[in-house]
Amino acid sequence: MSEEVIRREEFGEVAVLHILTNSVDGISATAIEATATATVMRPITVLDFDNVAFINSAGISALLKFVVSSRKAGHKLFAMNVSPHHQKIFKMVEMSRFMPTIEASDLAAYR
Amino acid sequence: MQHVLVNIPSNPVFERVVRASASEVGQAIGLSTERIEDLKLAVSEAVNNAIEHGNRREAARFVEVTFLMDADKLEVRIRDEGSGGARIDPAPRVVEEHNLEAGMHRGFGMYLISALVDDCEVSSSHHGTTLTLRLYRKDGSYE
Repeated sequence: MSEEVIRREEFGEVAVLHILTNSVDGISATAIEATATATVMRPITVLDFDNVAFINSAGISALLKFVVSSRKAGHKLFAMNVSPHHQKIFKMVEMSRFMPTIEASDLAAYR
Repeated sequence: MQHVLVNIPSNPVFERVVRASASEVGQAIGLSTERIEDLKLAVSEAVNNAIEHGNRREAARFVEVTFLMDADKLEVRIRDEGSGGARIDPAPRVVEEHNLEAGMHRGFGMYLISALVDDCEVSSSHHGTTLTLRLYRKDGSYE
């Protein structure tokens, strides 16, 4: 039985995808990519990194599947609870251009 | 000079073992939390390159990682048993529109390595490739 890597929460126009694995790497990438479909997304889709302690380039590659899927569907994609280190890495590879960071409090209006 | 040696088969799951070792070594020599994260990511990328591109995921081939510590620096040597030919491309590699559309989502590794450590070098022969990463201690700290 495969480990659940994403837990989905939906309210209004928003889907929050809570990443459950603490390591977004080559091992978890396949399972993460498999969830990156239009069906899990809403017009505003948020990836929650609260549990994530590590991301490498294989993990970034998996996360880019969410960018591609959200763009194809015309949805907006955001990241929240991103650690300062991962914000630095996202900025280095310019991931933050395609998945800007928001605060959890920004979602309050949609609940 | 003190050293720690970790030897793993070419299975990506064991990259996590090396990463954990990097974290422990970083803590042992007094790296800051942020520098430990930099070290873990650089080592992770180097080990994954060695597994995928050097040893081509052949489990019988090993990746040897040596952490060497002296008064001036931490040096990490990542050696594969491939056929050589690796090189360092430190040019920034970023997410671009046309790559997204083409499904090309890889290739950030060498850029991240070169950006996150103080220096790195590669030596390669028909017997394998060794990537050496260094973090220098300045004025008593690694900041």
